[in-house]
Order: sequence, then C-alpha cells, then structure tokens
Amino acid sequence: MKLTMWSMLRRSIAHRRARSLSALVALTVSAGVATALLTLYADLDAKLHHEFRNFGANVVVTGATGASLPLDSVARVQAAAGADATVAGFGYAVATTDRGTEVVVAGTDFSAIKRLDSWWSVDAWPVAGEADAALLGQRAANFVADEHAVKLVYAGKTVTLHGVGRLRTGGDEDSRIYMPMAAFTAWTGARVSVVEVQVPGGAAKVEAAIARLKTALPGLQVAPVRQLVEGESRIVDRTHALMYAAVLLIALTVGVSVLATLSASVLERRRDFALMKALGGSQRQLMGLFLLEALVLSLGGVAAGYVVGSGLAWAISEGNFGTATLPRVGVLPLVLLLNLLVAVLAAILPVRVLRGLQPAALLKGE
Amino acid sequence: MADGVEKVVAEVVEQAVPEQTRAECAVIALDGVTREYAGHGGVVRALDAATFSIVAGEWVAITGPSGSGKSTLVNLLGCLDRPTGGSLKIDGVDTASLAAKELDRFRADKIGFIFQQFHLIPYLSALENVMLAQYFHSMTDEAEARAALEKVGLGKRVSHLPSELSGGEQQRVCIARALINNPPILLADEPTGNLDAANQAIVANLLGDLHRNGHTIVMVTHDPEMAGLAQRKIALSHGKVFCHPTGAPVVKLRR
Repeated sequence: MKLTMWSMLRRSIAHRRARSLSALVALTVSAGVATALLTLYADLDAKLHHEFRNFGANVVVTGATGASLPLDSVARVQAAAGADATVAGFGYAVATTDRGTEVVVAGTDFSAIKRLDSWWSVDAWPVAGEADAALLGQRAANFVADEHAVKLVYAGKTVTLHGVGRLRTGGDEDSRIYMPMAAFTAWTGARVSVVEVQVPGGAAKVEAAIARLKTALPGLQVAPVRQLVEGESRIVDRTHALMYAAVLLIALTVGVSVLATLSASVLERRRDFALMKALGGSQRQLMGLFLLEALVLSLGGVAAGYVVGSGLAWAISEGNFGTATLPRVGVLPLVLLLNLLVAVLAAILPVRVLRGLQPAALLKGE
Repeated sequence: MADGVEKVVAEVVEQAVPEQTRAECAVIALDGVTREYAGHGGVVRALDAATFSIVAGEWVAITGPSGSGKSTLVNLLGCLDRPTGGSLKIDGVDTASLAAKELDRFRADKIGFIFQQFHLIPYLSALENVMLAQYFHSMTDEAEARAALEKVGLGKRVSHLPSELSGGEQQRVCIARALINNPPILLADEPTGNLDAANQAIVANLLGDLHRNGHTIVMVTHDPEMAGLAQRKIALSHGKVFCHPTGAPVVKLRR
C-alpha cells in the first residue's frame, strides 16, 4: 500500500462529502451557466438575425421618382441581393369598392410575402395559382360588401376577387387589399413600383447588399429600413453585452460561494494542515494538497457543468428560438479557464490562512 | 498513578553527567533564547532569555502554568518557530541559520511529535497515519509502519480509522508516528492529558521503554506524576526558566 497525495486527496474529499459536494455544485453552476451562455452567445447572431427576418424587409428598392420599376427588376434585385435574400415586388393602385370606398390595392407575389412578412397575422393565405385570390386587410374588409366576391373598380375597369383570408398587422397593411401581381398588372396596367428585400445578417451584410444593389440597379433608389437595421444591430450588441455581464456576474457570485466553501474547508482542517506542517510538510506540499483539491473540484465542476450547460442552452434555444443549439466543444476551454480563474481567485484567501497557520498553537488546541 | 509507571521510574539507570560531558552530548542547547511577539498593546515577551541544555537520551519534563511560555518553548524546540533572540541549537545546528524550507526538512528529520489530542487524520487508517510522517519525511514504507504499530501493541488495529480506536490506542498510533522516522528527539506535549488512568500507565510505560532505548524525550506536562517520571524538570513562569538542575541524574547514553 502506498500513501500518495492523490490517495490522501481522495480520502479527504470522500470524508468531507457535504463540503466537497457543495464546492462541486457551486463550480458546476458556474461552469454550467458559462457553458450555456457561451453556447448561446456563439449561436446568438444567427438566432437573432433569424428572428429579425420575421420583421420583414430591411431594404427597399423604388423608382427614382416613384415610377414603376423595369419588368425584370425583381429578378435583378434577387440576383444582386443574393440567393439567401427574400425579395417581393409590390405594385400599388387606388381602386373603389362596391360600397364606393376608395381602397389601396397591392399586387404582389403571395409566396414571397409569406416568407418576407412572416410576422403578419393571416388567417388563410391564398394558394399559388389562384389568379383571383385576395387577402383583405382587417379594415379594408369593412369596405367591401361580400368578402367572397370583392368587386373593385380602377379607371373604369372592374375586377372581382375572391377573398381568401384576412390580414392583421396593426399597420397600413390592414387598410389594403392584396392580389396576385399578374392579375393586378392585367387589371390596372401598373407594374412593380417597390421591391422589398430582407437581407439576412447584421448591419455590415445589409450595407454590402445595398452597395451591390446600387451598382446592379443604377438609377433606382436603394435604401435601408434604418430603424430595423440599426435596431437589429443595437439589440445584437446589447444582447452580447448583457450575456458578458451575466457570465461575469454569475462567475462573481459563484466565486464568493466557492471562496466561502474553500475557506471553510481550510478552517475546518487547519489542525490537519498544522499536523502535516509539524510532521515536516513544506509550505509547498500543503499548498499543493489544497490547490490540487480545488483543481480536482474545479475540473469536476467543468465536466458536469459542460453537460448541464449544454442541455440548458439546448432548452433555452428550443424554447425561445424554436431551434436547438448543439453542444459546442469550442466553449470548453473558455469555461475551463473561467472556472479555474474562479477557483484560483477563491483560493487566495484560504491559501493565506494556510500560510499563516501556527501549528503549535493549533495542535495545542488554542 | 499505576504500578507500571512506578516501575518505569525504578528502572531508570541513574548516572551523574559532568558539565563538560553535558555540553558535548547536548542535543538541545538554548542560550539566552527569547521570543517576542508584536501585540496590540506593544511587544509581548513570551520567552525570556531561556538558557538550558538537554543531553541525548535525557527525559526532561517542562512544567508551568498556562501562559508561562510552554507552548512558545514547544514551538521553538519543535522548529515550528524561530527565536527572536539568543541561540537555539538542535543536534548541533543553529535553527536560526536555516531557511524555512530547510527548517521543514530539519523538523521532519529531528523531531517526533506526540500530542495531547493525538491529532490523527480522521480519514486515514492507523497505518496510513503512521505512513503520513514517512510521506513528509522521505518515502512511505508499509512494512516499517506496521512494525512501528506492532511495537506499540497495535499490530492488529492497523486498518482501523481513528474513530474506531480508543483514546489510548490513538495516542499509541501518535507515538508510532513520532517514532517512524527515528528522530533523535521526541517532543511530547501533555501526552497523557486526554487519557484515563489505565491508558496513562500504558503510555507512561511506552515512554519509559523509549527512554530506556536511548530516546531523548522532552515532555510538557501539567501532571506532577508524569513530570515525576522524567529525570529532571524545567519549570517556566512568565516566560522565564527558573529551575533547571543541570546536574540531575540522566540515563546512560545508549544512542
């Protein structure tokens, strides 16, 4: 049988189960929260940008003086903005309903706006291929006599549309009637006058897309939806800062808890350490024994915390963004570093206590 | 005091040692040793110019009331502290000349501690507690540790935890631990203070055996009967050594 530092450590941890467990739990919490936040942080940009895509277009392309755009403008915008951008063209006309009320009618591509404006509240979307299908804004629906046979007159031409569903956004859209672009053009003779684009990614990516659009579509006005682009950028930055602060705050809180646990661990074993000193144990050996314990608990905390934190990140992501976040091995070194830092900082005070032990007085029971 | 203890006293081989021999044989020599501490109310002199020597193989009792400086003296003799004045030589080495690391090594080599409260590590077995002293001294040797426990009559209790041993047995583990590295000096601080009469006798007999085998024993005690077992007493009061009959009989040196 051999008596080694490792065997002493094992016995010591097992002997003081409650205390060791309390330190392990504190370090697991620290590592778990750090893992969860860092995992989410790594995925945050993609997740937030995905969320912001739900708010609709962040770039608008219009004619120089509000005139109609060229026939192929939607295709050219799509090509310049990139394949991952969502593009929808709109043509507008003011028609009169069968109740004699003027209403804005918009021609568009329903499949495109369904993706572009996924935040819209629509009870039923028109099916592709239905040439006379219409989507009625909540307020616009009040201007027509029969939603299933919406009669509209524009420049003396009448069209009858079949209202498929109602639209509620709380904005101007509620006062409009949307219909397929081809039927709109055939009825009014008007073409696409506005192309709305949703460019995925942050402000820099949007700016780059705008630059490409300006080059590809000279003479057209290309403008960002400032509130959205800047708001997105601001929210992403603030969320980053918030997560950093949360990690630091939690690390600090856990640090205090680990400090208390490690201090108590030294205080309750100061006679054991004093005895070891009296038996010839050097300051280095005693520190080694104590710090090895802190290191083992810290590594245990990182291992358990990584598993718990990854699960937590998965649950948060699933619950808030609707998509799972897979564990990231890349956060492990950072979590390890953070936990070791917490353990080392928390060990400073107990180490001072350990250095100042007076074996004779302690062993005498004074 | 039990009969066994009286037997120990009776068995002491007395022999007067001349002053010159005493100086040559001194394993512990204090010359004007002072220990001062800085306190809130100024400097506190815990030990005041203590001068005495202890020769190899001698059994000395250090007595005195609480606050007399016994702990300070044990601290210094055990190399757990260094004097602020005077010279303390152990086995011919001035402890003041040793660096902290050297002092740790020196302590492990020269001093075997026996404590009133035994101070066994609660999660280590009797055997491992003895091996702990080997661990901090050099390297562990299970056979030697077992032999040391057998020597103190605990050959069959080696794997027991301290909580499974009686007070007397714990003190015997403590003695085995003190002896395991074969140190020239045994420093016993109230070795029977926590024991009942039967166990006191066992420990006193054990110390007597060690003394007969040539070990130098420095024993701090409040117990006049235990102090009576020693060859001479060094009394302390208010940090001063006031009684140390240097010409007292000592055992024949057998180291």
